[in-house]
Amino acid sequence: MNDWYVLLAVLAMGTVTFLIRALPFIGTRWLRGSSLAQRVGRFLPPAIMTLLLLHSTLDLGLQASDQLLPAIVAVLVVLGMQLRLRQPLLSIAAGTVLYMLWIQLA
Amino acid sequence: MSLPVAMGYVPLGTVFGFLFVQAGGSWYMALAASLWVYAGASQFAMIPMLAAGLPVASLALAALVINLRHAFYGLSLLNDQPKNQLTRFYLIFALTDETYSVITTLKPRPTPEQMALLAGMNQAWWVLGTLLGAGLGTQLPVSLTGLDFALAALFGVLTVEQWRATRAWLPLLIAPVSYALMLWFMPEQALLLAMAVCVLSSIILSARSSKGAV
Repeated sequence: MNDWYVLLAVLAMGTVTFLIRALPFIGTRWLRGSSLAQRVGRFLPPAIMTLLLLHSTLDLGLQASDQLLPAIVAVLVVLGMQLRLRQPLLSIAAGTVLYMLWIQLA
Repeated sequence: MSLPVAMGYVPLGTVFGFLFVQAGGSWYMALAASLWVYAGASQFAMIPMLAAGLPVASLALAALVINLRHAFYGLSLLNDQPKNQLTRFYLIFALTDETYSVITTLKPRPTPEQMALLAGMNQAWWVLGTLLGAGLGTQLPVSLTGLDFALAALFGVLTVEQWRATRAWLPLLIAPVSYALMLWFMPEQALLLAMAVCVLSSIILSARSSKGAV
């Protein structure tokens, strides 16, 4: 990999990504204070979180089809632990260790 | 609250740095990517594309398609803009999936300055992981296979906390339904399209509830 080529790619990708993230703020004068925008902003996070959870879980299963079951079970373990114990680090660590052991030993 | 993100970002950043160097990239370019692109999914996508020597324009297009969903995130933060221009730019720049997730989950809501600080800590974890992975090169004591689950776990934790904070069932229902529909309709773009569906339904629901009593 040529460094200049990689650098150009990094600059281009980073700039595109920043512009995407800045989109809503460009129309901010018009949107700010709008109660509709506020309600949408409140409704969105749980929906987006659920989507990201589904997507990242399925993604693991798509890499290799035999990893879908361990991924789903490990996610359920994380959800259950977080609902019960409310220890984010413990939930993440337990789920990840379970998943890693399962797919490496299977 | 940056620690749960660290649990996802350090391992995942490590995997990125590791794969990047394995594909023939230099460690400082892996670092540059994590500093300037700072978007997990598109950074992973760039590795095979760079290795194949694809044109820069196609990499930019990939970044556009993969990260387009981030355009929705600012909607939740329109009224939380840091006063300092540079801080404001940084917060917008660093609005990744995970940072957005944590910021919108926290109760009470952090100040814009705290948000920017959290975003900075999260990026520091990501960069640390990248350096760690790039440094590891090929000498690995344990197998990294499966470490990427940490990210799914992080979203699981945040989904539970979102539900705890809002007690709203509707978003949790609309999301899987729209995702399933879009998976069937256009699998490659399911995530982005499902987010668009969620934004649309939230606008429709919000508009209706403003007429009635909510």
